[in-house]
Order: sequence, then structure tokens, then C-alpha cells
Amino acid sequence: MFKNILIPISSEYYSKGVLERSVFLAEKFKSTINLVYIIETKTLNQTDRLTDSHRTHYEIDETKNEIIRKQKLAADNIIFDEAKHVFKNKNISFEEKIVEGEFSDVIKSEIVKKEYDLILMGFEKECILNYRLLDDINIPVWVESKNENKSILAICSNLAPNQKVPAMSLKLSEALDWDLHMIYVVDIKDNVQVDEQGIRSDKKQERDLVFCGQNFVEEIKNKSIDIKLVKGDLEKETLKAAERINPSLVIVGREQKKKGILGLPVKNIKRKLAEKCDYSLLFVN
Amino acid sequence: MKLINSKEKKEFNLPSLKNIFFIVLSFSIISIIFIASYYGITLEGLSPEGQIMIGILLMAAVLWITEPIPLAVTGLLIMIIQPLLHVLPPDEVFASFGNQAVFFLIGAFIIAGAIEKHGLHRRIALKFLSQFEKTPRFFTLGIMSSCAFLSFVMPEHGVAALFLPIVASILIAMKIAPKQSNFGKISMLCVAYGCSIGSLGTLIGGARNPLTVGILSDIGINVTFFEWMTYSMPVVFIALPLVWLILQFSFPIEIKDISAAKKEIKNQVNIAGKMKKNEFLVLIILIITILLWIFLSSYTYFGLAVIAILGSILLFLTRTISWKDVEKRVPWGIILLYGGAITLGIGMQKTGAGAWIANVLFNTAGFNPYLVILVMIVFTVLLTNIMSNIGAVAILLPIGLALATGMPGISPLLASMIIALSGGLAFMLVIATPGNAIAYSSGYFSTRDLFKAGSIANILCIAVIFIVATVYWMGVLGI
Repeated sequence: MFKNILIPISSEYYSKGVLERSVFLAEKFKSTINLVYIIETKTLNQTDRLTDSHRTHYEIDETKNEIIRKQKLAADNIIFDEAKHVFKNKNISFEEKIVEGEFSDVIKSEIVKKEYDLILMGFEKECILNYRLLDDINIPVWVESKNENKSILAICSNLAPNQKVPAMSLKLSEALDWDLHMIYVVDIKDNVQVDEQGIRSDKKQERDLVFCGQNFVEEIKNKSIDIKLVKGDLEKETLKAAERINPSLVIVGREQKKKGILGLPVKNIKRKLAEKCDYSLLFVN
Repeated sequence: MKLINSKEKKEFNLPSLKNIFFIVLSFSIISIIFIASYYGITLEGLSPEGQIMIGILLMAAVLWITEPIPLAVTGLLIMIIQPLLHVLPPDEVFASFGNQAVFFLIGAFIIAGAIEKHGLHRRIALKFLSQFEKTPRFFTLGIMSSCAFLSFVMPEHGVAALFLPIVASILIAMKIAPKQSNFGKISMLCVAYGCSIGSLGTLIGGARNPLTVGILSDIGINVTFFEWMTYSMPVVFIALPLVWLILQFSFPIEIKDISAAKKEIKNQVNIAGKMKKNEFLVLIILIITILLWIFLSSYTYFGLAVIAILGSILLFLTRTISWKDVEKRVPWGIILLYGGAITLGIGMQKTGAGAWIANVLFNTAGFNPYLVILVMIVFTVLLTNIMSNIGAVAILLPIGLALATGMPGISPLLASMIIALSGGLAFMLVIATPGNAIAYSSGYFSTRDLFKAGSIANILCIAVIFIVATVYWMGVLGI
């Protein structure tokens, strides 16, 4: 299922939990791990800009090179060292490299170079992450946050095609031997129905949305999966369900959100979930 | 591990929409005010020149806060826009650029350049740090004190750039990854805050200090190197342990053993080796220059600039620095920024714009000197956190001086010291000062950590400056 796992680690944020999770997954799925340490040029450029009038270019370059040298040293001596220790003990094959660039851009360029089945990353609010990345790529993204429970919460809704989430959550729950809970959220604030191709319909009556939801729930129940239909705001209902079930992993699909000016989404549900949710998240597009 | 570059460097960047917006905004402000003044529409009690000067101040504030163009270019713009809009004749504008504080800055930068070239600052830093190797907590105090001490003799951002690799090496040797440990956070925050606090101490630490001395000398108040130290050092010595304590409470240190740090410092001392001849010469010249500044920088003797230039010439004579080094290490941008700042201050005074703003403030805040002092400190601290320190001081100093002339109990010197020292307390944001940005680039603390500790540190330091101003400066020194 996850033969090749990409683990991008930002020079801005490193979580040991990601390594532990990668060992768990690699053992289950016999995966190869690819660690990419990203020296964030965004931060370096910001420092250059902020010191521009106060220091000479010679001094700025001197400091920048010094920072890069130290970050490289931190990657080699701390992160890769720990990874070697953990992976070699478990006989997990892995590769490592250091790249200078912007987090999201590096991920995009890496997935072109090699075929990956999963991107596994840590997350903190201040992470330099362009959230559109989560919508742009087709590879599942697992955002790790430590939780010892062994259960999965899968989120389906009228705003998503609901194709990959049920399939992926079922496969994962079987492979990991974790309990699976599912909810179908009828988002009454964004009252459209997204079809299997991911196309939003015109506005619909609430009862029509509920009817579609009930059909989906029946279909899933036939597969002996615990599923509930709830009405409300997708983000809030997801958080509520996560709080109630306390899962190890929340699986979210490709929601087709309202588009605003210049075609940008009015709100990024994935960003909000990543920032508010204390559980690991798996974004499946 | 080989480093791979994910993107080719772009050769040319067009200004972003955001930058264009702020440039248009700043020019719109000055254009509207100029047109209004041209047609005789002025605010009550304000001359047309004064009104245009306020427009220039607002334009400068927008450009210095948002930085769509380099800070130094804004400095140049301030200089040329005054004769262009007939506020002040070119002779008067450019004459203020000949202030001796400009040459003091040039001399101080050359001396700092020599210190950096020969690695003398690194040796002093390591020597200082090795005295604090007892416990992790004491060690962080060592980082902060060392940064503050070195900021007495060289610019604060140079000190931050020096300490960043030293502290990062120590943390890596201790196997502490970015944002994983409170010890890592405190260590890097100590670099940022130590440099800021130390820069208040002497005229060398921050360019805003000579700017203040320069503007004061234009109105006939001369402050020597030693006098500055007698005013500022109590603030440094009270603020330093207080801010260190705030860091200890905000991020309790979780590690107990610093033997790896000791080993790394020893390793770095070994790499530095024995003191070389040139390093020794630079040290001697530095000591002579500082002694001359302390004892003979009054105007009856040599003045600040003569000593700074003398020290620089000694460095050239002993061949410890070359002109190539000066080109590498003297940030001429700061000198231009300084020029713009000083002409802004003089323009505000000469056109009566400063007095008019002061009058508006009196009518709003009343004539309570203690309230005015508190407002000055708070306002300067807030402004310095969102823009360049020197820009904040340049904008507020003329207003503070005008306030002082109309307010019994507050002298121009007192108002200037309050603004100059408060202008160095940029603790809350990464953009506030180059020192913060440099320390932040290590990745060891987040913007949230900086804001959390910085906001408490700022509140406490506001109280420190208020107490020092009212008790020590006004009460004991009678300034």
C-alpha cells in the first residue's frame, strides 16, 4: 500500500514522532523511506531582507552560509543520525538528502522525480507550508500528531467525491488492525452536492442533501462499517467527532470548496483541521 | 551530505503588488498634503512647510514600516524631497549630513570591521562564555551577558551574526534539534535580547544612539561617550537579568548536563588557537579608542568622531585593515539611512511641525510630565517593534524634542534618552531588528515564542525605563 514513503523535514520544524510513525508504517507495509531535509530559503531570504540596510552583502552572505552550514550539520548530526539508528535497528531501507528550497516546492519537485505512495510529515502552526499543496498533489499526505489510540475516523461529506476515503480507510484499518469509524457530514452552510468527478452541483435543498447522504450511509453500513450521518459545518463536525472518538488518525478527502476571487477557496478546511486537530490527519486526494 | 539547490536564483525581481501599493500609498500621502498646502489649505497653527514636513514624516513612516524600497533609499528620498518641495533649501538639508556623528559611525564601523576580520570578537565571546559553564541556566545567562558586553564595542547585529554559529554549534553538539528544547529556545532568544539590551549601553551598539547625539548636538546639547554610558548603563544592568528571568519562567529548562557544551567551547577555543599579532594590535587599538572615547570625547577635547577616525587610521597604519576590508564590512546603507533620519529631525524642528504635533499631544494627553514620559516610552517601544529602530527614533525624536520644549519638567536631553533607549527594546517581532531576524533564522524558536517572551520583556522594560527616567535621570542626575 505504501511502498515508497517521502518524509520531508523542514529546517523550521522537526518532530521525532514522524520517525516513529514511519517505522511503524514501514514495518507494516515493507516500505522504503526517503528523508528529505529542507533548508528553508524563505527564512534565509527574510533574514537577508531584514538585515539588508544594516549589513554589507559580504557580511550577509557570510551569515547565510554559516546558517546553511549549521543547518546541514544539524541534519547530519541529529536528524539523520537518529534516523539511521532507528531504521537500521529495524532493517528498514532508507535514503536521505538535504535540499535548499521552499517546503511545498521541494515536495512538488520530489514527487516528480520518484514515485511515492505517501508523504509523511510533522506539523506545527508556524510551519512554512503552502496549504494549497494539500489540494494540488494526488499522493496521500499524512500529518503526524502523536496519539496512542488504535482507531481511524474517516470523514465523508456532500462536498467531496467520497471515492478514495472509504476505500483507503477500509484498507488501512484492515492492514493496521485499527477500528474504523466514519461520519458523513451534510454541510448545510455550503449546500451543494459534489459528484464522483469532483464537480459541484447547483445549490440544493437540505432534504435532497440529506437524502444523498442517507443513501451513502446505507451503502457503507452494508460493508459493516460504523458510520453516522451528521448535519452542520464540515470543519466543526469533524472536530466534534474527533473529540468524541479520539482516533489515532483522521482521514479527510478532496473537498470541493466554494471559490472566491481569482478562483481561490473561500476557506481552507484542510488548513483549519491541521491547525486545530490534535490527531494525525491523512489527506487523500 | 551534499546540498542540492531546488531552484536557480532569479536574476531580476519585479516589485510585488504589495510593494507597489505601499510606494503608491506613500507618494499619494505626500502629494495630497503638498497640493493642499500649495492651495493654502493648512491645519490650524501649522505653516504650509510644516504641513508638508508632516507629509514627509508620514511618507517615511509608511516606507520604513513596509520596506518596499531599501531603508537607506528612503533615507535618500527624505533628503531630496525637502528641497524638491521647497520645505528647506538644499544647503541646509545636506549640511546636516556633515554632522560629526556620521563620521563617528564610519569610524566605529571600520573598527568593528577590523575586529570581525581578525576574529577578535569570536575569541572574546568564547572567553566570556567559558566562564559560565556551571549549569544550563547559568550558561544561558552567559550567552546573554556575552552578547550584551560585545554589543558595547560593536554593532548589535554583528554580535548576533557572531553568536548564531557559536550557539548553534553548541546546541548541535548537545544533540538539540530546532524547536525541540526550551534550552535551545532560551539560548537563541538570549542572543537576540542580549544584543538588543547591550546595544543601549554605548554609542556603538546601535546607530540610533549616535543619531540621538547628532540631533542633540544640532540644538546645542553635547553628550560625550562617557555621559551616554552613565545615563544608559543602569537600564542595561537592570533589564539584562530581568529579561533573562522572564525567559527562565517562560521556557523552563529541561536539561541538566552541559558537558557537551563545555567540550564544544573548548573545541572552538582550540580551533581559534593562540592570539595572533594582528588580533593583538586590533585589541590594543580598540582599548585605546574606548579609553579616549570615555575620557576625551567631550567637545572641549577631541569629540567622538575624531577619536573614531583616529582609531580607524591607526588600524590602517598597522595594516590590520585594508580598504578592501572596509568595502566589505562597512554598511554604507546605514550612513545614508542616518543622513535621511537626521535631516528629517532637523526639518521637523525648523518648520515647526514637531512643535505642532507636540501641541496636539498636549491637548490630548494633558500636561502631566509622568504621563507624557510613559506615553513616549510605550509609543516608541510599539513603533520600534514594527519598523527599523533608527527609523522609529528618527520619527519620534523631533516630536519628543518639541514636547520637551513645551513641557515643564522634561528636558530635551531627557526626552531624547527616553526615545533612544526605548527605541532599542525591539523584543516582540522578527521584523523588529536585524538581531531578532538573525537569531530567528537558526530555527530554534518560533515567532510565537518570540512574541510570548518579548511582550512580557517589553512591558517590564517599559517599567524599567520609566523608573530610571523618573528616579535616576530626573531625580539623581537632574537632566
